[in-house]
Amino acid sequence: MKPATRFTAALAGSVFAAGLWAGAANAEVTVLGWPGGPEETALRAAADAYNAKDDVSEENKVELLFFNRDGFWDKLQADLAAGSDAFDLNLLATYSIGRYAPFMEPVELSDGAQALYGDAVLSTMQFDGKQYGVPTDLSLHFMYYRKDLIDALMSDDDAKARYAEISKEHLGTALEPKNPDDWTWDDYAATALYFTKAVNPDSPTRYGTVLQMKNLLFNIMVWQSTARSYGGDWMDADGKITVDSEAFRKGLELYKTLYDAGATPRDSLSYEFAEANAAYAAGQVAAMVQWNAAAADLTDAEKSPAVGEVTATIAPPTGPEARATHIHGLGLGLNKSAENKEGAKAFLKWLSTEEAALIYARAGGAPALSAEAVSEVAEERPDLVQLGEYAGAYGYVMNGGASANALAIYELQAKEFTGYWSGQQDLDTALANVEKGMADLLK
Amino acid sequence: MLNAIRWAVFALAALAMNFPLIVTLVTSFKSAREISTNPGLWINAPTLENYATVLTVSDRLNIFLYLANSFAVAAMGTLLAVALALPAAYAIVRGRFGEKTLLPLIVNLRAVPLVIFAIPIYMMFQFLGLLDTRFGLGLVMTIVNIPLVLIILVNAISDVPFEIDEAAMIDGVSRTGILFKIVGPVCRPAIVTSMIFGFITAWNEFLFGLMLTTSKAVPVTVGASFFFAASGGGVQWGVAAAVMMVGALPPMLLGLFMYRKISGTMMAGAVKG
Amino acid sequence: MQTTHRLEWTLLATPLMAFLLVCLGFPAIVNLIYSVSDISFETLRSPELSGFGNFAAVLTDSGFWLANWFSLRFGLLTAILECLIGLGLAVFLAPLFKERSWPIAILMLPLMVAPALMGLMYRLVLHEFAGPVPHYLWAWFGNSPAFLGPNSAFWTLIVVETLQWTPFAFLLFHMAYQAIPEELREAASIDGATGFARFWRIELPLMLPTLAAALLIRFIDGFRVFDNVYVLTGSGAGGSTTSLSIYIYEAFFKQAAIGKAVAASVILFAASFAVLYGLNRLARRRRR
Repeated sequence: MKPATRFTAALAGSVFAAGLWAGAANAEVTVLGWPGGPEETALRAAADAYNAKDDVSEENKVELLFFNRDGFWDKLQADLAAGSDAFDLNLLATYSIGRYAPFMEPVELSDGAQALYGDAVLSTMQFDGKQYGVPTDLSLHFMYYRKDLIDALMSDDDAKARYAEISKEHLGTALEPKNPDDWTWDDYAATALYFTKAVNPDSPTRYGTVLQMKNLLFNIMVWQSTARSYGGDWMDADGKITVDSEAFRKGLELYKTLYDAGATPRDSLSYEFAEANAAYAAGQVAAMVQWNAAAADLTDAEKSPAVGEVTATIAPPTGPEARATHIHGLGLGLNKSAENKEGAKAFLKWLSTEEAALIYARAGGAPALSAEAVSEVAEERPDLVQLGEYAGAYGYVMNGGASANALAIYELQAKEFTGYWSGQQDLDTALANVEKGMADLLK
Repeated sequence: MLNAIRWAVFALAALAMNFPLIVTLVTSFKSAREISTNPGLWINAPTLENYATVLTVSDRLNIFLYLANSFAVAAMGTLLAVALALPAAYAIVRGRFGEKTLLPLIVNLRAVPLVIFAIPIYMMFQFLGLLDTRFGLGLVMTIVNIPLVLIILVNAISDVPFEIDEAAMIDGVSRTGILFKIVGPVCRPAIVTSMIFGFITAWNEFLFGLMLTTSKAVPVTVGASFFFAASGGGVQWGVAAAVMMVGALPPMLLGLFMYRKISGTMMAGAVKG
Repeated sequence: MQTTHRLEWTLLATPLMAFLLVCLGFPAIVNLIYSVSDISFETLRSPELSGFGNFAAVLTDSGFWLANWFSLRFGLLTAILECLIGLGLAVFLAPLFKERSWPIAILMLPLMVAPALMGLMYRLVLHEFAGPVPHYLWAWFGNSPAFLGPNSAFWTLIVVETLQWTPFAFLLFHMAYQAIPEELREAASIDGATGFARFWRIELPLMLPTLAAALLIRFIDGFRVFDNVYVLTGSGAGGSTTSLSIYIYEAFFKQAAIGKAVAASVILFAASFAVLYGLNRLARRRRR
């Protein structure tokens, strides 16, 4: 045979050898979970415990299906819209619940669910007043900061004087270093500027903070607690859009000031979760607002040798109106086209019991539980105590943040606000564009 | 002297174009700890940990299945595309068949983001039971490959002197016969080139792999990110690098192997002259 | 001759046409209906015809025109750069490849990596603290530029795309160069044409069809760029790196504006058909 022909034959052979059709598997109750990370480990543990129970029949056992994270929500959208029955239960998130609710069915929780989670957490899985899912994990933000640097600053009078000078020059008022738990956003900004080499050549770190400013909806979630703590909201009680407000301006200007002063890495406009963590873990950043999910890695001396031992976490800074952290929940809900609805409902009901929640928590998940329930696992998971506490005291969802078009609104804000931060448009234009777009999306 | 400059230019080009690959290779041997502390190209404590993670088969993750899927799908998408495009290219060039409309229409398919076909194809596949099958994904890869393969083949057949056809016609060979016995063999380098590109394109496709598969027919581009997603949307760079190297290896070996075949055939052709 | 052989030509082209009709006929019709419908993910199976509102929405959206502008610049610049470098390498380095093929294999390597993964690796490579490029720049020069800042992102993306796809153009030119009959070169040498003159007068004209094909393919691929840009900068600060593919993808999935996304694609398809049709006619007129 001629070389090319032989190659062709080899290719053709392999097509058939590999088999073009794969057989269909018969799943019992198929659950599409959030892949990778502690959520997966925890769900596995919960599913194993459920399957081991005597009263769960063979055809109602739970089988887990995991897909990848890149494009997860887009694929789920296509699956649900086309009426896929490849899974009975699937992942839901607060910000996307409105988009997926038309393809899902409301679910019934266990009797103890209300006492177990509390109304605020249950509401992260509600749409139009109906419960669409069992909350499994809660996400919110922490202020991560370098204890060693802040302590040094607070105990050095020369440094304090320099700090006052810098804050006077950049922020208009001379400030005094404070404990991060007492920070306002101005204190945070002053600290960020003080620890920036471009502003203060003696700074031990290259940057005072790291902001995630890539045009991405999740970055707006991280940012929006600034506006919230100045009293900002998407809409007022009457449904009037209130984005063009002093509160939003304050929050947006804060980021702009820090970015323009060089207090955050110069590529911040392309930064998201991973980049910000890498910058912080390199030991070149003094403080940042970041998702609670980063805590495990950033406080671990093995994984982050430069900062692991000196990193502390606290709730984000206070504003004149509130101290606030964005919260959203992940959870599991019922696919309208599910093949085994009864089995799926039974699993969901069990998943919302205290027994299941504790198994889930012990296996590494991050459920937000009431103070009473969390005390059972407080020893193994002290971070869950903090999580529940912050969620209860500071957690908020913007008015409209769980509406049908919430995702599109976040996308819109991401585009317009990053346009302002990068200097392509002014603040008035950005806010006007957002108001106009939101009026269409919230119709 | 000139050859020394040539080698220098080659080295420079190879280094620049392959730089991300070199970094990837280096990163794949670093531990998570080292990645966060040592960004340089030197590895202080090489580890095979990342490769162990990638190559370990579990009930959820099976890199070998993803590789086999990608291989089957890319092979089908390549062979079918060439089989369909070769006769059509011949008709387009020699018969001027559809030169004005068919050719631009098909070439156009490459310019349009195929994402717009995602939903209708999804629904069609659902109806036909082709979701999450290699055959279904192979069909889509064929569509993806046809425009490029067609351009290359049309270009190649245009270069074949018309006298060759005429001589054969006088000998009474049919059009189809000419295509397979004469034009096909003469265009073999182009056919193999289009196969290489088609295979690579299909191997690297992501969007349809994502949309149309869930577990059994997952290709390696989609399967890759199963491994390295860390909690909260982070990335485990070391594992990502290892999975990239593993995923790029088959097309690399194939490209090398195919390339030697092409140069072989061309040199043989040159000798026959 | 053309009329008598019409049937034979048709038969040869039939398998391809039939395949595309079967596989894309239904999706194409569905899309055409969607483009003139009020459509959302909830009403995929029952679109409501609503006229040409989607087309109007696309054509009056400044984002659509900015995306076109980005794609056009990106496609043209990368196609020209890739073809120039690829052609230069293929011709200048040709003597190296006479005896051995491994150097070619090395130059082909970047093609083997999925652009999405390539983009992901550049996120690491260019990271100020974790990436080797800024690391060495800081170590040697005490500074490193913003690679993905608002002013530099476009050029960084151009470089990333060019470095990965120059090998594609290179390979096509290498094939074409090798296919030039040795006698022609010898004849040219006898006439006294050597080096650059030989290239300019003999070899380049012979490679023109390949040059046109390479430019066309690379332009199309650059124009519809998606994966690596999407991974590196997304749609960019303020939407500054939104290619047309990203525009359509985001309209489709992020804004759930299916009608608008499909209408934009129909416009793109019609426009590029017109361009290709025109180019084709032009080329044939020149040939005559």
